[in-house]
Amino acid sequence: MIIEKIFDHISNWKKVWFGLIFLGSIISAVLQKFNLVGDSHYILVFAFGAGALIGFVAKIRGVWL
Amino acid sequence: MRESPEIAAEFSFEKEKAIAKSFSQRFQWEMILIGLGQAAIWLSLWPLVLNGSLDLWMGFIIAILCACFAYLPSHEAQHGNYSRGNPKLRWLDGFVGHITLITLLYPYHILRVTHMKHHAYTNNPEKDPDYLNAHSSSVLKVIKNVLDGSSTDFGKYLEVYSTDKAFVNSFEKAIPIALLYRFTLLVLVIIFPLETLFLWWLPAKIGTVYTTVFFSYYPHVGTSTGRYKDTSFWSHWMPRYLNHSMQLHFVHHLHPSIGHFDEPKAIETLKPFLVARGVPGADEIPDTITHNPLIKFS
Repeated sequence: MIIEKIFDHISNWKKVWFGLIFLGSIISAVLQKFNLVGDSHYILVFAFGAGALIGFVAKIRGVWL
Repeated sequence: MRESPEIAAEFSFEKEKAIAKSFSQRFQWEMILIGLGQAAIWLSLWPLVLNGSLDLWMGFIIAILCACFAYLPSHEAQHGNYSRGNPKLRWLDGFVGHITLITLLYPYHILRVTHMKHHAYTNNPEKDPDYLNAHSSSVLKVIKNVLDGSSTDFGKYLEVYSTDKAFVNSFEKAIPIALLYRFTLLVLVIIFPLETLFLWWLPAKIGTVYTTVFFSYYPHVGTSTGRYKDTSFWSHWMPRYLNHSMQLHFVHHLHPSIGHFDEPKAIETLKPFLVARGVPGADEIPDTITHNPLIKFS
């Protein structure tokens, strides 16, 4: 039952999780590598927030592109 | 198979099958080498890039090449072309099939069962898992479908084949592998974000686009249903070694047990049979398929 709930959650929210973790990590790394936002402490919040937002939009639209 | 009355006895299915069988005996060592070789090279990119011995951009280019070579060795495994019916060698099909697909981030079990259904129901809009790819309006549309993940709507086919126990079992076997891939990707991207992007995720996407365009779209676009009508001979501006000789994919649909590197010789021998059967484009097949006679110049 628990495993079923986990699978349901993954299949419903996979785009948001992917956006938050995968895209968030990539955006954060790119911003830091090219020093695009200086030494702002909010860089992680911005990067992971942007990733999660992209994932959320993809979830609503049903597709990434 | 019931013969159509207009097919001459010299082109009977039995004769065609006997010729095909003569090209279906050889051990496919090249494909094993390519499959395990690309996986080993791809894996070695990680320590080389992470310890600074190899530039990330060079690693990215090599990873793309590995990803483009990753599917075909698994494809041979899906058809059991390494074991060739020998139960003692069946492990080899699974071993090569699984290992080579790591680069592409796909579980072998899912690709195997969906590919078998693609062969059984080629161009059937409801039952062919490759239908969306094969009948897209353009190459760009195929690329978009692959990139946004809608080209592999496996969930839909789990519903279509929900009463097929073997199909469902294979899906269930693939789920832990698919989750392991996703979990590994998400852990790696936190620790090594740009390396994960350029050594795995992007190459896997590019390799999947390449595979889908040349294996699914070009051989099947514009074709219909039926054993001799569902795949066509086609030509392309690209030399055939760069597109895995997929111009010859139609003979694979007729006789999947013919090894990939034996297909050119098999086609030369089978050409009269293919012309007699009206395989789309068969009359344009060159008499000798050597290096690059399949290039489209205009």
